[in-house]
Amino acid sequence: MSKKTDLPNIKRRGFLKGAGLAGAAALATPLKAVAAQSAAPARNPVPLPNRAAETQVPPAMESLTVGRSGSDFMIDCLKSIGFEYMAANPASSFRGLHESLVNYGGNKDPEFLTCSHEEVSAAMGHGYYKIEKKPLCIFAHGTVGLQHATMALYNAWCDRVPIYCVVGNTAAVEERRPGIEWNHTAQDTALIARDYTKWDDYPATLQHFAESTVRAYKIAMTPPTLPVLIVADGALQENPIEEGAKLRIPKLPEVAAPQGDSGAVAETARMLVNAEHPVLIADRYARTQEGNDRLVELAELLQCAVVDTSARLNMPSRHPLNQSGRARGQVRAADIILGLEMSDYWASLNSYRDQLHRSSESLQRAGSKTVHLGSGDLYIKSNYQDFQRFADVDLAIAADAEATMPALIEQVKRLITPAQKANFEARGKKFAADHLADVQRARSDATYGWDASPITTARLSMEVWAQIKNEPDWCLASPTSTFSYWPQRLWTMDKNHHFLGDGGGMGIGYCASASCGAALANRKRGRLTVAIQPDGDLLMTIGVLWTAAHHKIPVLWVVHNNRGYHQEVMHVQRVAARHMRGLANAHVGTTLRDPNIDYAKVAEGMGCAGIGPITDPKDLAAALRRGIDIVKRGEPCLIDVVTQGR
Amino acid sequence: MNTILRASAVLVVTLVAGAAALAQGAAPSGDAARGKQLYTTIGCSYCHGTVGQGGGGRTGGLRLANMGIAFPAFLNQLRQPQDEMPPYVASVVPDKDVADIYAFVSSLPPPADVKSIPLLNP
Repeated sequence: MSKKTDLPNIKRRGFLKGAGLAGAAALATPLKAVAAQSAAPARNPVPLPNRAAETQVPPAMESLTVGRSGSDFMIDCLKSIGFEYMAANPASSFRGLHESLVNYGGNKDPEFLTCSHEEVSAAMGHGYYKIEKKPLCIFAHGTVGLQHATMALYNAWCDRVPIYCVVGNTAAVEERRPGIEWNHTAQDTALIARDYTKWDDYPATLQHFAESTVRAYKIAMTPPTLPVLIVADGALQENPIEEGAKLRIPKLPEVAAPQGDSGAVAETARMLVNAEHPVLIADRYARTQEGNDRLVELAELLQCAVVDTSARLNMPSRHPLNQSGRARGQVRAADIILGLEMSDYWASLNSYRDQLHRSSESLQRAGSKTVHLGSGDLYIKSNYQDFQRFADVDLAIAADAEATMPALIEQVKRLITPAQKANFEARGKKFAADHLADVQRARSDATYGWDASPITTARLSMEVWAQIKNEPDWCLASPTSTFSYWPQRLWTMDKNHHFLGDGGGMGIGYCASASCGAALANRKRGRLTVAIQPDGDLLMTIGVLWTAAHHKIPVLWVVHNNRGYHQEVMHVQRVAARHMRGLANAHVGTTLRDPNIDYAKVAEGMGCAGIGPITDPKDLAAALRRGIDIVKRGEPCLIDVVTQGR
Repeated sequence: MNTILRASAVLVVTLVAGAAALAQGAAPSGDAARGKQLYTTIGCSYCHGTVGQGGGGRTGGLRLANMGIAFPAFLNQLRQPQDEMPPYVASVVPDKDVADIYAFVSSLPPPADVKSIPLLNP
């Protein structure tokens, strides 16, 4: 038995490049020795010290060291992509890569970011991409590490965000250590994540790894941008590079996004220009600032309404044509609707009522036309239902909306007549008046409960806004749905990085880590990163506080501490009411009280500055100023604010 | 099926109750202090906020403070809600409790003038 298992191992070690004693002679003796040991009767199963071996110079030695391993080359491959960082919880299945990264690779480009959970690593990648526009590399342990990472990968998948995931695994049985390594090995490692990764591969050779590394990057960055996964075999990592091996890393391509069919784009332009009431709805549309600028240009040419779903910052929040507060009315009034990268077009075009008998109805007026321009149709999978309900669309253009926008704008410019231009201007004035009225109403709404405790989310939002609006540059890295979209209603957000949208799959645990990832990318830009951080989300991946402290990632988490999973409180209450039962138990399983969590203390324990809990709204301004000062010194800070539910 | 039938029966009862209340027109006298307690314990505050400020956006309840809604409409919305608000039948929230909650909501003071709050003025 031992002969069968040991022989290939020794043979493998025989061609070590740079080994202490390499060559045929060195190989021959250990082989003979092993054979002799196997033939001898096993009188005592406990190995005894071999005094002769310890005191005499052996004729030849087994090669136990290696000058350059496969993992060194693998790091070269990853360096060729240009990754700045690699986030991971350390794990034996990628120990070769880990060691090569920190020693051979100098722990630079990429630099190892220590994470307490793979969900932190992946969610950091989610936020990082939204600023950097390049994926973060993460390493994950075979099986268990990838299992931890999956929810965050799924969030990124739903949000069209690429994450570059490298997972350790050891295919050959004789290469696995008995016990735990088997638990951390899978026949098809990527299977668990295949439904929400765009492409995966398990390279069998180093050359294969080189090609798959570059291929994965190209696939991830081609819209629809999505996560990818490469399995790095343990033996491939740790074995020496074969002498004379001719390894080559392919060129890293520039990736051009696919543009829409020219005829379809021209037809869309014709419909928009000739419409009485065209409406643009933008969802996961603006990948870059250029996308924002082009949307504004198109809207201003047409003087039409724009509805921003808040999946990204698509349209400046205070632009007069931003009609997001009147989304349903705009859909009802529209005779042509152009959806841009819609993840749930149906929900924008229909109303839906969550009562015992669920019902829905179309919001569109008779004869209204619908166009969709988006890359979602270019790549779709079956199992997970994130593609949402099928919407009635008259013209579907499968292409990247941002890349197609210049061509659409040119067509619109070409078609608009002087008479139409005058009509459009009158239309725009009406929208501008409506927008102003919406802002005034939001200001009025915010006054209710202004001095209340728990603190209203309107007060919290406006106190944060008062402190950041005069900063040279800033980024709100948290979704806003849990605090009633106050920033969209009252802040001036006009840059792509001012708001990063939502978490895609809405798996809880996105915000804290994604905002840390965004702050990592914002750090070199000198940009202040703020997250209004839900408490339940924070608890999911609270270890990210330590990662931020350890790596000096400056982020201000303002905890929206409503002491519960408030969405779920409302769901349980809804069903209890539907079942005609008492409402006294909706808090069971949904609230985070008894004891209340002191997040400032938790933060202090993690090495972050912690402030709070703040219960009096009059204390907010000073706490925020103090927190921002800390963050501007290059450190993370958490402010715990006890808030209303929504 | 039984659930549907039961719910339908309740709807009929609540519609009748709502219609009766509508016919009455005027608000019954309610205990605002008790209403405040009920407002919290039965969970109105979850969606509408502890001071009736509303949840805002697409996920919260409407503002109740200073809403200027008549009691019959308030009761009817509770029993037979429009849109997505959960239905609260009389066996769960009796008319007396509704009247008390209404008294509390009606007692909420109007907010400060927006012009008096510097943070709400650009």
